[in-house]
Amino acid sequence: MSNADIALMAHLMRRAGFGATRDELEQLVEQGYENVVENLINPGDPGVMPDDVIRRYHSEMAEMRELNSAGAYWMYRMVTTRNQLEEKLALFWHGLFATGYSKLNQASALVNQINTFRRHSLGSYKTMLVELSKDPAMIIWLDNHDNHHDNINENYGRELLELFSMGVGNYTEDDIKECARAFTGWTLGNVEYMSTRASRDSIWPYSRINWHFNYRDYDHDDGEKTFLGHTGNFNGEDIIDIIVQQEATARFICTRLFQFFAADEVDEAGESVINDMMASYFDSEYEIRSVMRTMFNSDYFRSEEARFARVKGPVELVVGAVRMAGTYQEPTFGADQLARQTMYMGQGIFQPPSVEGWHEGAEWIDSGALVERVNFVGKELGDPGNPGVKAIIDRMARQGQGILSPEEQVAACADLLGPLELSESTATSIREFASEQGPADLRDGSRTEADEQRIANLLRLLTATREYQLA
Amino acid sequence: MTTATAVSAGPMEYLKTIGVTTNQSGRGFINPYDCAFTNDGRIMVLNHADAARQALIRIGILNWDEDYLGEYSKGTGRGEGQWTLPIGMTISADQRIHVTDEHLHRVTVFDTDGDFVRMWGEKGDAAGQLNGPAGIAVAADGTVYVAEQYNHRVQVFTSEGDAVTTWGEYGDGTGQFNMPWGLALDGAGNVYVADWRNDRVQKFTGDGQHLATYGSSGTGDEQFSRPSAVAVDSEGYIYVADWGNERIQLLDRDGKFIQSLRGQATLSKWAQDFMSVNPDEYNTRQIANLVPDLPDHLDTPYLVSAQTEPYFWGPVALRLDHEERLFVVEANRHRIQIYQRRKD
Repeated sequence: MSNADIALMAHLMRRAGFGATRDELEQLVEQGYENVVENLINPGDPGVMPDDVIRRYHSEMAEMRELNSAGAYWMYRMVTTRNQLEEKLALFWHGLFATGYSKLNQASALVNQINTFRRHSLGSYKTMLVELSKDPAMIIWLDNHDNHHDNINENYGRELLELFSMGVGNYTEDDIKECARAFTGWTLGNVEYMSTRASRDSIWPYSRINWHFNYRDYDHDDGEKTFLGHTGNFNGEDIIDIIVQQEATARFICTRLFQFFAADEVDEAGESVINDMMASYFDSEYEIRSVMRTMFNSDYFRSEEARFARVKGPVELVVGAVRMAGTYQEPTFGADQLARQTMYMGQGIFQPPSVEGWHEGAEWIDSGALVERVNFVGKELGDPGNPGVKAIIDRMARQGQGILSPEEQVAACADLLGPLELSESTATSIREFASEQGPADLRDGSRTEADEQRIANLLRLLTATREYQLA
Repeated sequence: MTTATAVSAGPMEYLKTIGVTTNQSGRGFINPYDCAFTNDGRIMVLNHADAARQALIRIGILNWDEDYLGEYSKGTGRGEGQWTLPIGMTISADQRIHVTDEHLHRVTVFDTDGDFVRMWGEKGDAAGQLNGPAGIAVAADGTVYVAEQYNHRVQVFTSEGDAVTTWGEYGDGTGQFNMPWGLALDGAGNVYVADWRNDRVQKFTGDGQHLATYGSSGTGDEQFSRPSAVAVDSEGYIYVADWGNERIQLLDRDGKFIQSLRGQATLSKWAQDFMSVNPDEYNTRQIANLVPDLPDHLDTPYLVSAQTEPYFWGPVALRLDHEERLFVVEANRHRIQIYQRRKD
């Protein structure tokens, strides 16, 4: 098994997921790259922390009333899933179809929205957009409950075209109005009561009542509409059928997927990959699975130039560190801190800054966010009592005679955390720190807590490097 | 469309609902996890609260007429008489309130004025230690029975908290447990344990001899999904909180199915008071269908209950008062629905 194979698989798992431990990487390399891609895009049993166990321990996750509890509930799933791409894609859709708690006051609707994303993540984009249009959280978020037969509200129709499919410049204001007409009557069950409660943030008398979609035939405008040159008595499904056939839609969704999974910036080579992804989109009748396969298997994605070319988003960073540290594998007191941490770093789950979602890439990093990032990850990976850290130390103990020089410690830690490709200046600084700590005797019987802490200190220091903060 | 599970016919009669949710001290419940009854007619409600509102952990006190009589708490923490995750509560014959705390791994005892009496337990699996204590019951002679979810056993203590014996271990065989939760005694001193993750109820003598097992995994009659609590009345009828199926089942003395309840909450006195001063909500509630047909993907009992306000949602405890009225404590709805078995 070559180091190059490990490095390539680590790259895939950082992008398609939240990263992998060395034991996991070795197992994946045995399967072969294309097979791993197929498994990622055809997820099986996720093996996540069971809902019954979560709900018994966390009353707040049973009731699902609080923002941070809902966020932590999703993070439990990200931390424990075997289907990393499934959760990474859910995170992508959450950023693309950004829906926030502040207007809804209903965390369960957001959890259910993520469940909807998960169900349709890798299937037809047409189905995804239909289900998105029926999603109660989206209906309230973009006011479609106020979109009536005799008084249309354009908000959802406009964003469906601008932010969720074609992008500005590919439709007219009249298309927006006709689109909105087609979605009249798409609302919530008991919408009068539910919207009143949402606007008052009411939990009375007996806590939240979850929402469900309801189609009000009597409030739907069934008249003739002309949309993107097509004319008919269109309903919402007909409009989406037209939308997904547009080249602009294919370019939009393929570009957004490329930027989230492959590279923050699109260069000429990236354009070529996006064109291939668009071809897969149409060949497969809009199937996201085919688009992802094309992207992950492209030479561009697999190239060394594509590696460490993205800044880890806060959720990616936190989940990746927790998975590596092996913590939060069972219900844990204070788990809502997980969600709060990502908020401190600029990505509050279910709290996008606007309907446009988060600005990613270098904008994740500012001085305040960087301190939060370094502190959280350092705490997780700087504790030799955490199972994942212990596994790293045990693995290093099997290296050579089990007594590692400072240089060997740095090399091994950087290798097992990534492998990370440290710049010479970074490596020099960390080697100086390691030299001050001295050698580590990791042999069974002679290993001390101080030896383990030396390794944990190095891991903590490495998480503060530029190299670790990139994916 | 997902349709509601039919409520089967039988002797259980709905009486009323008490409680309303709250975000502050005073009248109202906040994630109630258990209740108990004093000899002078007070109803004690253990408010577990949630992670965001730990300062509101308390025992609230009311009477049958829903007059709020007060509350007490020593606050959240590890100090004497304090709680972190209080789960189970019962009152002994000598009117001592016993509360389990699954995070602090201990039992705390108070008098009915809320004054601290004693506490025992620390995390561990040795005799006298506890790991995730949950259900609790006290026999007429003061013997205390505690179900330990993470030690997968029942532990018996004297009224002073001295360890007497334990039985059970992890497993799904007879006499074994998988994260037991609720626990109850019948008039003969037999012990019934809601064997939560084994989807069954087991019955033992007071010294741990296995007598019977009721139920299996599933959604049918006499089947359970993660039963959380059990109660037994003076005639031996068994009530089971079928937590994962969000329902209550009534079984006869031999464990045979009699009736299933899905819940039928109405506005409590306190809830009516809220509605009377919030006409916007009241008026829109009046035109709402609170038992709606749901899309097919919202098809689990949990999701149906989350959408259907009158149904049980998170029934975590069952208790019979001195008149054998059945109190169904719903953690997620912050209320208690009360039923009574018709004896004719």
